[in-house]
Amino acid sequence: MEHYEQARYAPAEGETNEPLLSENDQTTVSVDPSLPDDLTRDTVELPSLEEPELARHYVRLSQQNYGVDSGPYPLGSCTMKYNPRFTEDAAALPAAAVHPDRSETALQGTLAVMHDLQDYLGRIGGMDAVTLQPPAGAAGEFTGILIAEAYHEATDGGHRNEVIVPDAAHGTNFASAALGGYDVIELPSGDDGRVDLDALEAALGENTAALMLTNPNTLGLFERDIEPIAEMVHDAGGLLYYDGANLNALLGRARPGDMGFDIMHFNVHKTFATPHGGGGPGAGPVGVTDELAGFLPDPHVRQSAGGDYELYTPPRSIGKVHGFQGNWPVLVKAFAYIDRLGDSGLADASAKAVLNANYLADQLDYEIPLGPFHHEFVASAGDQDAADVAKRMLDYGVHPPTTKWPELVAEALMTEPTETESKRTLDDLADAFNAVAGDDDAALADAPSRTTARRIDQTAAARNPRLSWHDLD
Amino acid sequence: MSFDVPDDLQYLESHEWIDPATGRVGISEFAQDELGDVVFVELPSVGDALDQHDELGVVESIKAVSDLYAPVSGEVTAVNDALTNEPELVNEAPFGDGWLVEIDFDSDDLEATLDSDDYRAQIA
Amino acid sequence: MSGSPYASPSEADTDAMLDAVGVDRVDELFDIPPEVSFDGEFGIDAKSEQAALRGVRRRLSDNDDLTEFLGRGHYEHYVPSLVDSVSQRSEFITSYTQYQPEITQGFLQVLFEYQSLLVELTGLGVANCSMYDAATALAEAALLAKRVRAADGNRVLVPGFVRDSHVDVLRNYTSGSDVVVERYATDAGNVDLDALEAAMDADVVMVYAENPTTCGTVEEQLCAVGDLADSHDALFCLGSDPVAMSILQRPVDVGADVVVGDASVLGMPTSYGTGLGVFATRKEFLRQVPGRLVGASEDDAGTRAFTLTLQTREQHIRKERATSNICTNQAWVALRAAIHAAWLGADGLVDLAERMVELPRDLAARLDDVSGVTAPVHDDRHHIREFQARTEQPAPAVASALEAEGFGVHAVDDHTIQVCVTDANEHATDAFVAAVREVSE
Repeated sequence: MEHYEQARYAPAEGETNEPLLSENDQTTVSVDPSLPDDLTRDTVELPSLEEPELARHYVRLSQQNYGVDSGPYPLGSCTMKYNPRFTEDAAALPAAAVHPDRSETALQGTLAVMHDLQDYLGRIGGMDAVTLQPPAGAAGEFTGILIAEAYHEATDGGHRNEVIVPDAAHGTNFASAALGGYDVIELPSGDDGRVDLDALEAALGENTAALMLTNPNTLGLFERDIEPIAEMVHDAGGLLYYDGANLNALLGRARPGDMGFDIMHFNVHKTFATPHGGGGPGAGPVGVTDELAGFLPDPHVRQSAGGDYELYTPPRSIGKVHGFQGNWPVLVKAFAYIDRLGDSGLADASAKAVLNANYLADQLDYEIPLGPFHHEFVASAGDQDAADVAKRMLDYGVHPPTTKWPELVAEALMTEPTETESKRTLDDLADAFNAVAGDDDAALADAPSRTTARRIDQTAAARNPRLSWHDLD
Repeated sequence: MSFDVPDDLQYLESHEWIDPATGRVGISEFAQDELGDVVFVELPSVGDALDQHDELGVVESIKAVSDLYAPVSGEVTAVNDALTNEPELVNEAPFGDGWLVEIDFDSDDLEATLDSDDYRAQIA
Repeated sequence: MSGSPYASPSEADTDAMLDAVGVDRVDELFDIPPEVSFDGEFGIDAKSEQAALRGVRRRLSDNDDLTEFLGRGHYEHYVPSLVDSVSQRSEFITSYTQYQPEITQGFLQVLFEYQSLLVELTGLGVANCSMYDAATALAEAALLAKRVRAADGNRVLVPGFVRDSHVDVLRNYTSGSDVVVERYATDAGNVDLDALEAAMDADVVMVYAENPTTCGTVEEQLCAVGDLADSHDALFCLGSDPVAMSILQRPVDVGADVVVGDASVLGMPTSYGTGLGVFATRKEFLRQVPGRLVGASEDDAGTRAFTLTLQTREQHIRKERATSNICTNQAWVALRAAIHAAWLGADGLVDLAERMVELPRDLAARLDDVSGVTAPVHDDRHHIREFQARTEQPAPAVASALEAEGFGVHAVDDHTIQVCVTDANEHATDAFVAAVREVSE
């Protein structure tokens, strides 16, 4: 435990929080441009700091922030793996800085990267065509829903108004289906944490547009019945949608296309190590089977017979899901990562992700009720409150797992170490978990005590929302 | 932990209570404890007509959202405006200052509600 | 080469871990039925870091070396070096969404400061910490309008000159509701008030206008648009950006209920359309705001601290009844924009915006001197960053010829090009004017 005596982000003795920019001198500037008065505002009031002070402001703030370069980040389902730095250099190449309205001829390099990334993702997912336009995973889900809707509209009149989502699915699945105007049918999981075929049979019907599924699911369990599931959904006339959040467990061992999925999205952050940036930008490419390729968003990238790359509108395109072409720099990083790892590296990433999860689980004192799991597992905090466990783990210098979700496991600790942690780190992480498991209620309730901020009053924040410095006294 | 379940009120399985004498409606002490700190309450307007088991509003804690259901049919005659600025009243006095609405109702509807013994058994 | 260079366990450790778990091979840990197992190959060769970087560079080298005078919704301003050096700090870029606020105070504070910047510029009570881009933000505004309007209604009105792509996104996002998106006429680079008034009825839930417009003009009738919307109980959604807002009429003063737009005009180089969706609105709609919000609170020691708040609006709690399906947004782009804005300060921001009025005015005047070119098309209007010019020759031919000379412009219709000039490309205006002369005369 020596290793975690001093939490990494603890402020030095006596250090206070960083002042807000607005707590420095504010400058009020009168606007006097070469425009008529009635077209302009009167004043702008903003903080005024010179660059040296600003540099320190932001560096100090960075020091009050925990990233995966700071230490392990076993946030289940969020997949915080190491982000190779060379991909930043790739995305920052001067030739990558292009405007989206350039002509195709002036854009051959960008289109080449996009074409090759579409191709790589198709091979990895077992999909026939891939769009890169959705700017995040949830946007990918919505794109998939739009494609499903357009497909049903074209093939059987668009009466289907239901999307089935397992109860343990990501909240975005429900919200994306609802955004598309669908009624969401929540599918209760079986006792083994997997899809219950009887419940699925009961949920399917002539109104079923799609079933959205994550595999391995959020408990890390592979849906072994995926073949019969696909058959049942297809027999009912529905489409099978793959939420790619957990594809990082399967690289080189199984492909959604081979399992019978018709549509899928990739989370490039989770699977291809693009940095999450504290909440984006992400990218959520969507892959589809041949039958659905004509519905992909506009425009799509393809290579002409002459070898040039071109943008074209698929014949029955759903249109656009982003004003331009999505989050391009993120796509460059994903391409660079895949290209570097290749077949052997990608397969090894999944293998080590699964090994690391299983090894860490083996070291823990907390019970893990459901298995066999792959890249993540859900332990139960038992009599402890999982949220308190998380706060206490901060005192041991590590980021805690996802807590209280999925609800199938009481006081869930959803843990995903990823392949990029070493055995030594996993041992230390296990020590932190086990130390907390042995801590008493008082220690848990009091935590965290070694962090920049002590436990934050969420209730006060919600009852009295103060959302800008204008709201502060 | 045992919760107060006043005998003079009627209840729904979904934890709303109604005072048969006044038509006043709220949520039970058990329900507010399950929810945790209430941070926001969304209620209907005076004059709204409700059917029994219609959605009456929403009560939110930090991490959960719960629908409220009308224990009886009728017209909303009063709304507890104090909850706008003090949603914590639902936690502090669920049977008192933390009431939600008052409904002008038909007493026949009460047959479909639980009495205090039944409700106590439900939350035991 | 075998294995991932970023999978940390060594060979010896791997053996020890397999031992501990009680299996001989990693394969035994996978619970995948053979009938869906994949034993093929992707056919992607592993490479060294250097080779992979070279591969990206080689592909991108096929992008022409173009000086872009392109805008229409995606703009470039000079980005100070501080933005890169600070935003690339590991603690920022390798962090996740701030689910544990006690160890992510730094990012939360930056996002709070970003929200504050937008509140100052819009004059509205609340701004979220980002949508994907201007188009999706506009779509979310329409969905908000639909939710908050007491009376039924389903018409959303947008001006004719808005990019087709943005209207398409708006249509897709509202396709799950009964919303109908309609365009209303514009006149001389501004909204046509008569046409808008004629289009208004009790079914209109939202009216959209822009300042500056997609064709670069300053919109001069915002108050009238706001009044029209208000008198029909419709929301007024205004599209703008943080640079333009620093000098143009304050959105709240023209009656805007929602402000959307792209804030990646600050902090980002040209990046093939990567956006930073602004979303600001009145406090009365707080519970209906899509996306993440950072709020101030206190910790157990009584010290001010920040946290994500009002999360019951969001998909991870409210699921199909969430205000939006958005989860990951553009946080790191917001961080970059916030740093850039702070670096400029009030003086710098206003100076930059004033330059954006002068540059297109000067360039349009110079192009107007070129025979075969009339600029600006909307000569009664003021412009920000860009303007349209009429060309005697077909515009697509002019654009192609300019591209051959190393310059990018938009061809917006048969005889109209659009030209964008900012601090990022103004150094090239002499050469650009010469090239226009070359291809036009």
